[in-house]
Amino acid sequence: MSIHSTDFENMYNQYKILVYNVALNYLQNIEDAEEITQDVFVQLYQSIDKFQNNSTLKTWIYRITINKCLDFIKHKNSKKRFFIFGTKSNSEFELHKVTNFEHPGILMENKENAEILFGIINQLSENQKTAFLLSKVDGLSNPEIATIMKVSISSVESLVFRAKATLKEKLSIKFDNYRKK
Amino acid sequence: MKKENYIETILNSTNGISKVAPSADLFSKIEMRIQSSTVSSKTLWLVAASIVVLATINITVVMRNNVTSNNNTTISLAASLNKSNQLY
Repeated sequence: MSIHSTDFENMYNQYKILVYNVALNYLQNIEDAEEITQDVFVQLYQSIDKFQNNSTLKTWIYRITINKCLDFIKHKNSKKRFFIFGTKSNSEFELHKVTNFEHPGILMENKENAEILFGIINQLSENQKTAFLLSKVDGLSNPEIATIMKVSISSVESLVFRAKATLKEKLSIKFDNYRKK
Repeated sequence: MKKENYIETILNSTNGISKVAPSADLFSKIEMRIQSSTVSSKTLWLVAASIVVLATINITVVMRNNVTSNNNTTISLAASLNKSNQLY
Protein backbone atom coordinates (compact mmCIF):
# COMPACT_ATOMS: atom_id res chain seq x y z
CA MET A 1 0.00 0.00 0.00
CA SER A 2 1.57 3.27 -1.13
CA ILE A 3 -0.67 5.73 0.74
CA HIS A 4 -2.86 5.47 3.80
CA SER A 5 -6.53 5.03 2.89
CA THR A 6 -7.65 8.05 4.96
CA ASP A 7 -5.04 10.27 3.29
CA PHE A 8 -6.16 8.98 -0.08
CA GLU A 9 -9.81 9.74 0.70
CA ASN A 10 -8.82 13.27 1.80
CA MET A 11 -6.86 13.73 -1.40
CA TYR A 12 -9.86 12.49 -3.42
CA ASN A 13 -12.20 14.92 -1.65
CA GLN A 14 -9.76 17.77 -2.23
CA TYR A 15 -9.12 17.18 -5.93
CA LYS A 16 -12.17 15.27 -7.26
CA ILE A 17 -13.86 18.43 -8.56
CA LEU A 18 -10.67 19.66 -10.23
CA VAL A 19 -10.05 16.34 -12.00
CA TYR A 20 -13.68 15.77 -12.96
CA ASN A 21 -14.16 19.27 -14.37
CA VAL A 22 -10.94 19.26 -16.39
CA ALA A 23 -11.96 15.89 -17.84
CA LEU A 24 -15.50 17.12 -18.49
CA ASN A 25 -14.29 20.24 -20.32
CA TYR A 26 -11.85 18.16 -22.32
CA LEU A 27 -14.00 15.15 -23.23
CA GLN A 28 -17.45 16.77 -23.09
CA ASN A 29 -19.09 13.58 -21.95
CA ILE A 30 -20.18 12.80 -18.39
CA GLU A 31 -19.48 9.03 -18.49
CA ASP A 32 -16.04 9.54 -20.08
CA ALA A 33 -15.18 12.24 -17.52
CA GLU A 34 -16.06 9.85 -14.67
CA GLU A 35 -13.95 7.11 -16.26
CA ILE A 36 -10.97 9.48 -16.52
CA THR A 37 -11.49 10.62 -12.91
CA GLN A 38 -11.30 6.96 -11.85
CA ASP A 39 -8.15 6.39 -13.95
CA VAL A 40 -6.46 9.50 -12.54
CA PHE A 41 -7.10 8.56 -8.89
CA VAL A 42 -6.06 4.94 -9.43
CA GLN A 43 -2.80 6.20 -10.95
CA LEU A 44 -2.35 8.69 -8.11
CA TYR A 45 -2.81 5.90 -5.57
CA GLN A 46 -0.29 3.66 -7.33
CA SER A 47 2.34 6.29 -8.11
CA ILE A 48 2.15 8.77 -5.24
CA ASP A 49 5.65 7.56 -4.22
CA LYS A 50 7.00 8.82 -7.56
CA PHE A 51 5.70 12.33 -6.92
CA GLN A 52 8.63 14.72 -6.75
CA ASN A 53 8.28 18.00 -4.96
CA ASN A 54 9.63 19.88 -8.01
CA SER A 55 6.03 20.86 -8.70
CA THR A 56 2.96 21.11 -6.49
CA LEU A 57 0.59 18.17 -6.12
CA LYS A 58 -2.11 20.22 -7.85
CA THR A 59 0.11 20.79 -10.93
CA TRP A 60 1.00 17.09 -11.00
CA ILE A 61 -2.69 16.12 -10.84
CA TYR A 62 -3.49 18.58 -13.65
CA ARG A 63 -0.76 17.01 -15.81
CA ILE A 64 -1.95 13.45 -15.17
CA THR A 65 -5.56 14.42 -15.93
CA ILE A 66 -4.70 16.21 -19.18
CA ASN A 67 -2.47 13.36 -20.36
CA LYS A 68 -5.20 10.81 -19.57
CA CYS A 69 -7.72 12.91 -21.52
CA LEU A 70 -5.40 13.19 -24.53
CA ASP A 71 -4.75 9.42 -24.50
CA PHE A 72 -8.49 8.78 -24.21
CA ILE A 73 -9.25 11.01 -27.23
CA LYS A 74 -6.47 9.37 -29.28
CA HIS A 75 -7.81 5.92 -28.39
CA LYS A 76 -11.36 6.96 -29.28
CA ASN A 77 -10.25 8.45 -32.61
CA SER A 78 -8.32 5.31 -33.52
CA LYS A 79 -11.47 3.29 -32.77
CA LYS A 80 -13.46 5.57 -35.09
CA ARG A 81 -10.88 5.09 -37.85
CA PHE A 82 -11.10 1.33 -37.34
CA PHE A 83 -14.88 1.34 -37.60
CA ILE A 84 -14.94 3.49 -40.73
CA PHE A 85 -14.64 0.30 -42.82
CA GLY A 86 -17.02 -1.64 -40.65
CA THR A 87 -20.41 -1.00 -39.15
CA LYS A 88 -21.27 2.52 -38.02
CA SER A 89 -21.94 1.16 -34.50
CA ASN A 90 -20.90 3.40 -31.59
CA SER A 91 -18.65 5.80 -33.49
CA GLU A 92 -21.32 8.01 -35.03
CA PHE A 93 -23.38 7.92 -31.87
CA GLU A 94 -20.35 8.98 -29.82
CA LEU A 95 -19.58 11.81 -32.26
CA HIS A 96 -23.18 12.97 -32.05
CA LYS A 97 -23.03 12.88 -28.25
CA VAL A 98 -19.86 15.02 -28.22
CA THR A 99 -21.06 17.70 -30.66
CA ASN A 100 -24.35 18.10 -28.78
CA PHE A 101 -22.75 18.28 -25.35
CA GLU A 102 -24.58 20.36 -22.78
CA HIS A 103 -22.18 21.23 -19.98
CA PRO A 104 -24.03 20.84 -16.64
CA GLY A 105 -22.12 23.78 -15.14
CA ILE A 106 -23.05 26.33 -17.82
CA LEU A 107 -25.69 28.97 -17.07
CA MET A 108 -29.08 28.16 -18.57
CA GLU A 109 -29.11 31.21 -20.87
CA ASN A 110 -25.65 30.33 -22.26
CA LYS A 111 -26.24 26.62 -22.87
CA GLU A 112 -26.96 26.88 -26.60
CA ASN A 113 -23.96 29.15 -27.28
CA ALA A 114 -21.64 27.05 -25.11
CA GLU A 115 -22.69 23.98 -27.09
CA ILE A 116 -21.48 25.70 -30.28
CA LEU A 117 -18.25 26.80 -28.55
CA PHE A 118 -17.39 23.32 -27.24
CA GLY A 119 -18.04 21.88 -30.71
CA ILE A 120 -15.48 24.27 -32.22
CA ILE A 121 -12.94 23.91 -29.36
CA ASN A 122 -12.62 20.25 -30.38
CA GLN A 123 -11.24 21.35 -33.74
CA LEU A 124 -8.24 23.10 -32.13
CA SER A 125 -4.81 21.48 -31.87
CA GLU A 126 -3.99 19.66 -28.59
CA ASN A 127 -1.86 22.47 -27.14
CA GLN A 128 -4.21 25.26 -28.16
CA LYS A 129 -7.17 23.36 -26.73
CA THR A 130 -5.36 22.73 -23.44
CA ALA A 131 -4.21 26.34 -23.09
CA PHE A 132 -7.61 27.75 -24.02
CA LEU A 133 -9.60 25.46 -21.70
CA LEU A 134 -7.27 26.04 -18.74
CA SER A 135 -7.29 29.79 -19.32
CA LYS A 136 -10.86 30.50 -20.37
CA VAL A 137 -12.89 27.72 -18.72
CA ASP A 138 -10.78 26.78 -15.68
CA GLY A 139 -9.73 30.38 -15.12
CA LEU A 140 -6.03 29.63 -14.47
CA SER A 141 -3.39 32.32 -14.88
CA ASN A 142 -0.77 32.13 -17.66
CA PRO A 143 2.09 31.27 -15.24
CA GLU A 144 0.00 28.42 -13.78
CA ILE A 145 -0.78 27.09 -17.28
CA ALA A 146 2.90 27.41 -18.23
CA THR A 147 3.89 25.25 -15.23
CA ILE A 148 1.26 22.62 -16.01
CA MET A 149 2.12 22.46 -19.72
CA LYS A 150 5.88 22.75 -19.08
CA VAL A 151 6.24 25.66 -21.55
CA SER A 152 7.18 29.32 -21.19
CA ILE A 153 4.61 31.98 -20.26
CA SER A 154 5.03 33.62 -23.67
CA SER A 155 4.24 30.28 -25.33
CA VAL A 156 1.01 30.08 -23.31
CA GLU A 157 0.10 33.63 -24.35
CA SER A 158 0.77 32.72 -27.97
CA LEU A 159 -1.26 29.47 -27.72
CA VAL A 160 -4.27 31.24 -26.17
CA PHE A 161 -4.04 34.04 -28.74
CA ARG A 162 -3.88 31.60 -31.65
CA ALA A 163 -6.70 29.51 -30.16
CA LYS A 164 -8.93 32.59 -29.93
CA ALA A 165 -8.02 33.60 -33.48
CA THR A 166 -8.88 30.14 -34.81
CA LEU A 167 -12.16 30.09 -32.87
CA LYS A 168 -13.09 33.54 -34.19
CA GLU A 169 -12.31 32.44 -37.75
CA LYS A 170 -14.42 29.29 -37.45
CA LEU A 171 -17.28 31.17 -35.80
CA SER A 172 -17.15 33.78 -38.57
CA ILE A 173 -17.54 31.03 -41.20
CA LYS A 174 -20.37 29.52 -39.16
CA PHE A 175 -22.11 32.90 -38.98
CA ASP A 176 -21.77 33.45 -42.76
CA ASN A 177 -23.15 29.98 -43.48
CA TYR A 178 -26.05 30.61 -41.10
CA ARG A 179 -26.85 33.91 -42.85
CA LYS A 180 -26.83 32.24 -46.29
CA LYS A 181 -29.53 29.85 -45.13
CA MET B 1 -20.93 44.45 -36.17
CA LYS B 2 -23.61 41.81 -35.84
CA LYS B 3 -21.04 39.13 -36.69
CA GLU B 4 -18.61 40.45 -34.08
CA ASN B 5 -21.34 40.42 -31.46
CA TYR B 6 -22.23 36.84 -32.37
CA ILE B 7 -18.58 35.74 -32.07
CA GLU B 8 -18.08 37.54 -28.74
CA THR B 9 -21.33 36.08 -27.33
CA ILE B 10 -20.25 32.55 -28.23
CA LEU B 11 -16.71 33.05 -26.88
CA ASN B 12 -18.06 34.43 -23.60
CA SER B 13 -20.68 31.72 -23.18
CA THR B 14 -18.52 29.90 -20.61
CA ASN B 15 -18.48 32.97 -18.34
CA GLY B 16 -20.00 32.18 -14.97
CA ILE B 17 -19.45 28.44 -15.41
CA SER B 18 -19.80 26.55 -12.14
CA LYS B 19 -17.81 23.51 -11.08
CA VAL B 20 -19.64 20.19 -11.23
CA ALA B 21 -19.20 17.36 -8.71
CA PRO B 22 -18.86 13.76 -9.88
CA SER B 23 -21.41 11.13 -8.80
CA ALA B 24 -21.38 10.14 -5.13
CA ASP B 25 -20.48 6.49 -5.76
CA LEU B 26 -17.33 7.32 -7.75
CA PHE B 27 -14.99 6.91 -4.77
CA SER B 28 -16.25 3.39 -4.04
CA LYS B 29 -15.70 2.50 -7.72
CA ILE B 30 -12.12 3.80 -7.46
CA GLU B 31 -11.54 1.79 -4.27
CA MET B 32 -12.79 -1.36 -6.01
CA ARG B 33 -10.46 -0.77 -8.95
CA ILE B 34 -7.50 -0.23 -6.60
CA GLN B 35 -8.25 -3.46 -4.75
CA SER B 36 -8.51 -5.48 -7.96
CA SER B 37 -5.31 -3.96 -9.33
CA THR B 38 -3.47 -4.74 -6.06
CA VAL B 39 -4.42 -8.43 -6.37
CA SER B 40 -3.29 -8.54 -9.98
CA SER B 41 0.10 -7.02 -9.13
CA LYS B 42 0.61 -9.76 -6.49
CA THR B 43 -0.23 -12.36 -9.12
CA LEU B 44 2.22 -10.70 -11.48
CA TRP B 45 5.03 -10.97 -8.91
CA LEU B 46 4.12 -14.60 -8.24
CA VAL B 47 4.29 -15.40 -11.95
CA ALA B 48 7.62 -13.57 -12.28
CA ALA B 49 9.06 -15.48 -9.30
CA SER B 50 7.85 -18.80 -10.76
CA ILE B 51 9.56 -18.03 -14.07
CA VAL B 52 12.83 -17.22 -12.29
CA VAL B 53 12.68 -20.49 -10.28
CA LEU B 54 11.92 -22.52 -13.42
CA ALA B 55 14.78 -20.88 -15.33
CA THR B 56 17.20 -21.56 -12.44
CA ILE B 57 16.19 -25.25 -12.30
CA ASN B 58 16.61 -25.57 -16.06
CA ILE B 59 20.06 -23.97 -16.06
CA THR B 60 21.20 -26.18 -13.13
CA VAL B 61 20.02 -29.37 -14.86
CA VAL B 62 21.69 -28.42 -18.16
CA MET B 63 24.98 -27.60 -16.37
CA ARG B 64 24.95 -30.94 -14.51
CA ASN B 65 24.28 -32.87 -17.74
CA ASN B 66 27.23 -31.12 -19.39
CA VAL B 67 29.61 -32.11 -16.55
CA THR B 68 28.43 -35.77 -16.66
CA SER B 69 28.87 -36.01 -20.44
CA ASN B 70 32.42 -34.54 -20.22
CA ASN B 71 33.38 -37.21 -17.62
CA ASN B 72 31.96 -39.98 -19.82
CA THR B 73 34.02 -38.79 -22.81
CA THR B 74 37.26 -38.82 -20.76
CA ILE B 75 36.62 -42.35 -19.46
CA SER B 76 35.86 -43.75 -22.93
CA LEU B 77 38.99 -42.10 -24.39
CA ALA B 78 41.18 -43.55 -21.64
CA ALA B 79 39.76 -47.01 -22.19
CA SER B 80 40.48 -46.91 -25.93
CA LEU B 81 44.12 -45.87 -25.33
CA ASN B 82 44.87 -48.72 -22.87
CA LYS B 83 43.81 -51.54 -25.21
CA SER B 84 47.27 -52.00 -26.75
CA ASN B 85 50.78 -52.06 -25.25
CA GLN B 86 52.46 -50.87 -28.43
CA LEU B 87 54.13 -47.53 -28.22
CA TYR B 88 53.79 -46.69 -31.95
